[in-house]
Amino acid sequence: MSFDGLIEAIIDGVLTGGVYALMAAGLSLIFGVMDIINIAQGAMVVLGAYLSYVLSVHLGLDLFVGLLITVPAMFALGVLLEWGFMRRLREGDRTSMSILVTYAFAIVIEGVLTLIFGSDYEELNASYTTNSVHVLNFYLPEIYLLGFAMAAVLLGGLYLLFFRTKFGRGLRASLQNRTAADLIGINVNRTRMLAVGIGVAVTACGGMVYGATVAFNPDSGYDLISRLLAIVILGGMGSIGGAMASAVLLLVLADVVAVAWAPVWSILVFFAAILLVLSVRPEGLFGARAGRAQ
Amino acid sequence: MSASAGTDSSSAAPAVPGSSAPGTGRIRLATSLFVLVVLVVAVLFPLAENSRQGTMSIAVFAVIFMVAVSAWNIFSGYSGYLALGHAVFFGVGAYTVALMAQDWHVPAGWAIMALLPVCGVVAGLVAIPVGLVALRTRRHTFVVVTIAVFFIFQTLATNLAFTGGTGGIQLPFVSWTFSVYNERFYYVALVILVATVALSWAVRRSRFGLQLMAIRDDEDRARGMGVRTGRVKLAAFVVSAIPVGMVGGLWAYFLGSVYPQSAFDPLFDIALALMGFFGGIGTIAGPLVGALVLESLQQYFTQTFSANGLYLIIYGGLFLVVILLMPRGIVPSVSHRLRSWRAQRVDRASKPAAGSDAAGVTG
Amino acid sequence: MSVSLIDVEGVSKAYGGVQALQLCNLSVPEGSISGLIGPNGSGKTTLFNVITGYERASAGEVRFAGRAITNSTPDRVFNLGIGRTFQLTRIFARLTVLENMLVATQRSEGWLRSVLRLAGSASERGRALELLEFVGIARLASEPAGNLSYGQRKLLELASLLVADPAVLLLDEPAGGVNPTLINQLSARIRELNEAGKTFLVVEHNMEFVMALCHQVTVLSQGRTLISGTPDVVRADPGVLDAYLGDEGTEDSDDTPAPASLAAASPRVETPSAGPPSAAQPPVLTIKGVVAGYGGGDILRDVSFDVPEGGITCIVGPNGAGKSTLLATVTGLLRPRLGEIRFRGAPLTGLSPGQIVGQGISMVPQAHSLFPQMTVEENVEMGAFTIRDRALVAKRLASVQELFPIVKERAKEKAGSLSGGQQRLVEFARCLMLDPELIILDEPSMGLDPQTRGTVFETVTLMNEQGRTILLVEQNARAGLRLSTRGVVLENGTVRLTGSGHEVLEHPEIAALYLGGSVSAPSAG
Repeated sequence: MSFDGLIEAIIDGVLTGGVYALMAAGLSLIFGVMDIINIAQGAMVVLGAYLSYVLSVHLGLDLFVGLLITVPAMFALGVLLEWGFMRRLREGDRTSMSILVTYAFAIVIEGVLTLIFGSDYEELNASYTTNSVHVLNFYLPEIYLLGFAMAAVLLGGLYLLFFRTKFGRGLRASLQNRTAADLIGINVNRTRMLAVGIGVAVTACGGMVYGATVAFNPDSGYDLISRLLAIVILGGMGSIGGAMASAVLLLVLADVVAVAWAPVWSILVFFAAILLVLSVRPEGLFGARAGRAQ
Repeated sequence: MSASAGTDSSSAAPAVPGSSAPGTGRIRLATSLFVLVVLVVAVLFPLAENSRQGTMSIAVFAVIFMVAVSAWNIFSGYSGYLALGHAVFFGVGAYTVALMAQDWHVPAGWAIMALLPVCGVVAGLVAIPVGLVALRTRRHTFVVVTIAVFFIFQTLATNLAFTGGTGGIQLPFVSWTFSVYNERFYYVALVILVATVALSWAVRRSRFGLQLMAIRDDEDRARGMGVRTGRVKLAAFVVSAIPVGMVGGLWAYFLGSVYPQSAFDPLFDIALALMGFFGGIGTIAGPLVGALVLESLQQYFTQTFSANGLYLIIYGGLFLVVILLMPRGIVPSVSHRLRSWRAQRVDRASKPAAGSDAAGVTG
Repeated sequence: MSVSLIDVEGVSKAYGGVQALQLCNLSVPEGSISGLIGPNGSGKTTLFNVITGYERASAGEVRFAGRAITNSTPDRVFNLGIGRTFQLTRIFARLTVLENMLVATQRSEGWLRSVLRLAGSASERGRALELLEFVGIARLASEPAGNLSYGQRKLLELASLLVADPAVLLLDEPAGGVNPTLINQLSARIRELNEAGKTFLVVEHNMEFVMALCHQVTVLSQGRTLISGTPDVVRADPGVLDAYLGDEGTEDSDDTPAPASLAAASPRVETPSAGPPSAAQPPVLTIKGVVAGYGGGDILRDVSFDVPEGGITCIVGPNGAGKSTLLATVTGLLRPRLGEIRFRGAPLTGLSPGQIVGQGISMVPQAHSLFPQMTVEENVEMGAFTIRDRALVAKRLASVQELFPIVKERAKEKAGSLSGGQQRLVEFARCLMLDPELIILDEPSMGLDPQTRGTVFETVTLMNEQGRTILLVEQNARAGLRLSTRGVVLENGTVRLTGSGHEVLEHPEIAALYLGGSVSAPSAG
């Protein structure tokens, strides 16, 4: 393995890490707001990919343009989920129940996709998915660069949303002290609903980039959610910044391993990392120190 | 975890002297008779259905899942820690039997059946390090860790040389006649099932089971009262892995081959949880009912329609319905109805009770 | 003469900046029933936690029968023969009552053996049933413990400890939330067990219960041991009453203990500047016949009083009286079972906290309610979250900054880094952003040092002078009543005394209310 190969792997890891960071941030957000682990996040990414596929193949829309439709659609899905299901889970065992409920969603989504599209692998195609940009002596696929740029813009947008808007202040307030937020008159329920909507909407973007880089079929959700979970656990559940940092870290590691040894081992990096971290620091790299396990 | 526990009548504590439930002895008698009848039906079942091989093969799968869910329940049901990675043990069992048959050139036939306990033991051994790592975390991180471990194993199976990679391993084809093939697998599975249910029942009644359930209800308090929570949880985890490994081996032999994707199938994990919750986790009959109903349904679907997305939708949808409307599962809900129906009869029959203690009976 | 079974010597415990226990001493003689009392926040539960290993002591030693057991783990403490109950009763809800009992017999056993043995041998079951009989719930043996009423759960918790035959039992508020008949049963059982040789250490707020039952009583105040002696000695000690009733809340309060009434030691008794309310004005808040509780039983049992317009009304009373519960019903955090609450005639019961805020009522809860990651300025602005008019918000912010200079001074600092007293002031500032007519304060001076307390009380008076009605609950009864136009004494969920702040301050029955003893029929002011 050459030094150049190593550098390229690192760059690739950073670029793809950006997109994973976006999707993982959504997962972390949902957990932080609702105490719910959305196992369906992976399936939703696949759903987003299929939506982009339909718009691209049947309507001829450019992939990025198609996002204008898929993002609001996924947002609506998230809102519907919170309002219809997540809200009704009892506070006490909400997290454990949410794992099962969202896992069931993931299955339903997979079923619907299989019914409509079958099990064949699909791909999103556009000029930029096949072209590469020549930088120094590396060939970087255009889609990686565009995807990273989009993720960076969106993450920046989310930052602005959380820290510069009224809604964002209300959201942060409900996260920091729910009772006080109630007493000030913040509509905590609505805030949560919208936050979940955002958490799901990001999967539309992630789905488009994912589908443009990798061949996918309805089954692909499992591989995705396992990576996302690894990222979020490593970063600490509920810490959006942590999710972002560990996304880039893990993707870089995985790509390096893929180049240094073999691509198939890269997935192991994810899990080995979380097992290692959890043995030493059960709350993840950035997670708050938990009280006694109950 | 919204699950019910010791209300399953087949495993209640022995009747308290002076207990106010007049029919307790009769209930236990009825339950024992019921169990006996079920056993007889189970044993005689193939004779009636012999001509319909489709049904028999459904039955084999159903019994396999009944074993797996019962075993899973010994850990997750009694301790309240949701393990979504037991497919690891299933797959390990499957690969163990395949590798043993391949490397030791075991002839097809009953000899392979004798290897099944080895599969169980290997699965149990694998469960030790897995449990040691996973049980260090809080409950909901634990779930995710078990999922993660599962994917590691799936990757290992796909990529390690000795597991045959994506091509998998073929098992020697057993040359039994078609008509007895399903039947024999069915009986072997039934034997494992009886053993597993007996184990579940024994654990439920034992001190060990009591400690597990105390952990489920209030782990810190249990520890404060002297329960060695770490050891108890690990022991339950390992014990639950063994039957799953055994039926994993049986399943592999039944199908004749193992592949990484099928032996380590994420749907398996969710199926265990679904069947457990559907029937009622923490009880003994619950996993059996859940597995019987759901697996039969699923097999029927895949046989009648092709494996398209419809059954996935129904599966997931069914689970949602169960979780949201009947979170305790079928068996506890039904037994709850039965008990309150019986209590009403008792109330009507007996005189109104004299003044209870100042605090009242229900809070 | 009698050997000391549990010895606590010089134990200190600090949480961050708060000193929960300071060089605390306690001695429990073998065979005695000892009581541990003290006002809220004095460190009683912390001391329990340190003794039983749930928390680590920063300094000092705990000894059991002469052997040091400091910082042992809870299960080790349990195995040594020290059992404890919890303030919020803990049982294994899904196990049956009998199974709950059997868990305690599982101690010190290899797990392999325990798989093969039944959950509870015949003799263990027999003994468990005997104990259930002893506390009176044997007939519930097959019931899931979660179905038990609150009082029955307490009995079960006690019984399940007895299974392990401990030498000493630590009971944390055994009489809390339990009806009088059951309290008597509990006392009787404890006495019986004590006569059979068991030692008890009981934390309780119910003074009658403690004084009647215990051989000796230790009083904790602000983490220190104040006094230890027989109930009569403790009751008569003026320092104890001081600890419960609090000091003046001003810097110049001298240290001489007050006489048995609430009247301040210093000769001048200030009447609050707002003056008594005119009888013609209707009360801002009317509370009638409120009955409320949290699942386990009613804490408020028929509370009725009025909050006059423009004044400062202070609710005082011993612990467990229901003061915080009452505030929760007013602010919409708890729905009363019976009764009604009206704000200027319009009903408040049934509204959500957000809607109540919209009516012109602002509340500062007891626990820290700032958003710790946000700056001071952001926190204060959050108070006006529901106001859209930016100009109005800016105007309010300016006036608030005048009243509370700290808002301007520490504007850009994270709220979580401020001291307790400073956070309180910012909380006041925040609640003023909505220009409320009625301000509700839950224990504003809790946990603050005397100097800061003074500032807090001055601020309360200032806010009142702006024309706002104030309703506050105060642990520090003397200071709270001194600045109030109206005082309401709550005890055991009912109103015992009302009157002007001054009248309640000087009422001779106050000591009896706080420290136990017969109380005459409720008198109106």
